[in-house]
Amino acid sequence: MELSTARTLFLSPIYLPLLGAALILLSRSFFPIRITKVFEYLGILIGLIIPLVLIFQLVPILSEQGSIEGIIGSYESGIGISYRFDGLSLLLILLADIITFPAWIFSRTEGPKQGSFTALLLIQNASIAAISMTNDLFNLFVCLEIMGVAAYVLIAEGKATKAAYAAYSYLMASSSAMVFFLLGTFVLYRLTGSLNYEIISQKLTMLDDQNKILVQIALLLIIVPILLRVAVMPLSLWLVDAHSKAPHAVSALLSGVLLKVPLFALIRVFALSPLTHAYALPISYAGAATALIGVLFALAQSDAKKLLAYHSISQIGYIVSAWALSLHIGLDTKAGALLLVASFFHAFSHALFKALLFMTVGKATDAGKTRDVYRLRGANKALKQLGERSPLTMISFFVGALSISAIPPFNGYYSKILLTYSMKGSLQYTLLTIAAAGTVASFIKIGRIFLPQKDKKAVLVPEEEKKQNFTGVHISYLLLALACIATGIFSAKLLPFVVNLLGVYTSTNFGSAFFFSSSNLIKSAITVGAGILVFIIAILKPGQWVLHHIARFEGSFVDLFLGFALAIGALAYFII
Amino acid sequence: MTIERILIFLLFLVGFSAIVGAKNIIKKVFGLNLINSSVVLLFILEGSRIGSQAPIIGEGVTDIVDPIPQALMLTAIVIGVCVTALALALSVRLYKATNSLEIDTIQERLKGEH
Repeated sequence: MELSTARTLFLSPIYLPLLGAALILLSRSFFPIRITKVFEYLGILIGLIIPLVLIFQLVPILSEQGSIEGIIGSYESGIGISYRFDGLSLLLILLADIITFPAWIFSRTEGPKQGSFTALLLIQNASIAAISMTNDLFNLFVCLEIMGVAAYVLIAEGKATKAAYAAYSYLMASSSAMVFFLLGTFVLYRLTGSLNYEIISQKLTMLDDQNKILVQIALLLIIVPILLRVAVMPLSLWLVDAHSKAPHAVSALLSGVLLKVPLFALIRVFALSPLTHAYALPISYAGAATALIGVLFALAQSDAKKLLAYHSISQIGYIVSAWALSLHIGLDTKAGALLLVASFFHAFSHALFKALLFMTVGKATDAGKTRDVYRLRGANKALKQLGERSPLTMISFFVGALSISAIPPFNGYYSKILLTYSMKGSLQYTLLTIAAAGTVASFIKIGRIFLPQKDKKAVLVPEEEKKQNFTGVHISYLLLALACIATGIFSAKLLPFVVNLLGVYTSTNFGSAFFFSSSNLIKSAITVGAGILVFIIAILKPGQWVLHHIARFEGSFVDLFLGFALAIGALAYFII
Repeated sequence: MTIERILIFLLFLVGFSAIVGAKNIIKKVFGLNLINSSVVLLFILEGSRIGSQAPIIGEGVTDIVDPIPQALMLTAIVIGVCVTALALALSVRLYKATNSLEIDTIQERLKGEH
C-alpha cells in the first residue's frame, strides 16, 4: 500500500464513527423511528466495522516502519495537530471495538434503545481512537474530555436516580482534575514552547536543574488526572456507583474499555521525560494495593453489580501494577517488555470476561427482580420463565467467572500467569496472589444466585410475565464467551502478535510449557483452595462481622477530592 | 505582574473551595466554572507575554505574540460550556427526583433506592 493512502486510512477510526454518529442523529431529527433503526445499523457498520477492517490493512506498514504519522488538516508540522498511529493505537482500537459491538447488540433488547445511545457509543469510540493516536498534549486533553462527556451521559442513561448522582459526582471529580491537567500542560508549554510529545521530550533534556522541579510538578499534574480515569486507589471512589448504576451494556463498556484506554495512553506521557520514572514504582505499589483492597470490598457487597464494580477496581489494580512496574524496570529490558505485554493481555482478557459478567449478571438480576446476592436464588429458573430456552446466561456467567478466577483453559489463567511471571519475589506479587484467592471467593458468592431455590423465603418470580426475545442477548454472550475461550487457547499465537505491535522485544516462548508448568498449575490449585477457604471464613460469624463493617463504607462527595489530594500528595512525597 | 497572578490564584481557590465545600450542587457547578476560567485567564495572561505585537503577519511585524495559547483556550472554553450544560442537566434530574439541591440530603434520600 502507498504511504499516502495509509496516511488517510489511519484516521478512519476517528472520522468514520463521527460520520456514523452524525448520520444517526440527522435521521433521528428528520425521519420516523423505523428509518432511524436502519440508520443505526448503518452507523455501526460505518463506524465500528469498516474502520477495523481498514486499519488491519495497515499492519504490514506498521511492522515495517513502526508507525505512521500525519498532521490533521495538512498544516505544516509544528503548527497543526500531529497524530501518530502505532501498534499500541491499533490494539486499543481493537479492544474498544471488540467490546462495543457485543455491548451494542445487548443494548438492542435490553436498552437503552434510543438512537442517541448508538450515536454516543460511536462518538466515544472516535474519542478512544483519537486518544490512542494523538501526539499532542492539548489534543489529549480535548479527547479525554470528549470521552468523559460521552461516559457521563452514558452513565446517566441508567434508570435509577442514583445513576444521575453517580454521573454528577464523576463529572465534578474528573472535570476538576482535568483543570489540573491543563495547568500541567501550560507549564510544559511555557518551558518548551511546544505541545508535540517529541519536541517536548527533546527540549526537556536541554533544561537546567532549576527547572527540573517545575517539570516534575507539571508531569505530576498531568499523570494524576489520567490515573483518576483509570481508577487506581485512592482515586477510585467515583467508579462504584457509576459502574453499578449504569445500564448493563454501559457497565460492560465502562469497565472493559474506558478504564484501560487512558492507562495505555499514559505510556506516551511517561516517555516525555526520564523524570517520570520516579513515579512508576509508587504507582505500581498503589496498583497492587488496589487489587487487594478492591477484592476485599467486593467480597463484602450484597449488591451483585456493586460486587462486580469493586472487581473492576481490583482487576485494574493488577493491570496498573504490572504496567507501572514495566515502566520502572524499563521497556527495553526483557522483564519490562514482558510485563507490558502481560498488562495489555490482562487488560484485554479482563475486558472480555468483565463485559460478559456484567451482561449475564445484569440479565439474571433483572429476571430475578433483585440484585441482592443473599436473597436471589434460582436465577436460571426466573430466566426460563421469561422465555430463555437454553441456559446460556448461566453457562456464559460461569465462563466469565472461571476466567476471572484464573482457571485453565480460560483466558484469565493465561493472562494472570503471564502477569505474575516477572513479578516473582516482589511485594506486588504477594499482594496480587492474595487478591487472586479473594477473587475466587467472591465469585463463589455471586455464583450462588444460580443455585436452585430452597426455602420459601427466597424471592419468587411471578408466573405471569411477558416473554422476551433472547436472540440478541445470546449473540452478545456467545461472542464474548467464545472470545474468552479462544484468547486463552490460542494465546501462544496471539501473544507474539501483541509483542510485535507493542514494539518491544522478548524472547519468551509462549508455548504450553510456559503456561502449564507444574508450579503454575500447583499455584493455581492452591489459589482455588485458598479462595474456598476465604469464602468459608467470609460466611462464618467473625468474617461476616468484618465484611459487614466494610460494606457500610460509602464515600461521600468530598471524599472524591480527598482521594485526589492524597494521590497528588503521596506521589509528590515520593519524588522529594 | 505578580498581582495578576495572585488574583488568578485567588479565583482558583474560590472555585475549588466552592466545589469541595459548598453544599448546593448548582454552586458546585459554579465552582467548576470558576477554576476553569482561572486557568483560561492564566493561559491568556502568560501567553500574551511571549512576543509583543499583534499576531497579524504583515510588513515590519516581527515579534508577534504567540497565538497558540489563545487558540487553545477557545477550545477549553467550549469544553467548559459542554460540561457545565451537562452538569446542570444532571442537577435538574437530581432535584426532580429528590426535591433537594443539597448534596448531603440528595445522598441521604438516594440511599434507600436500589
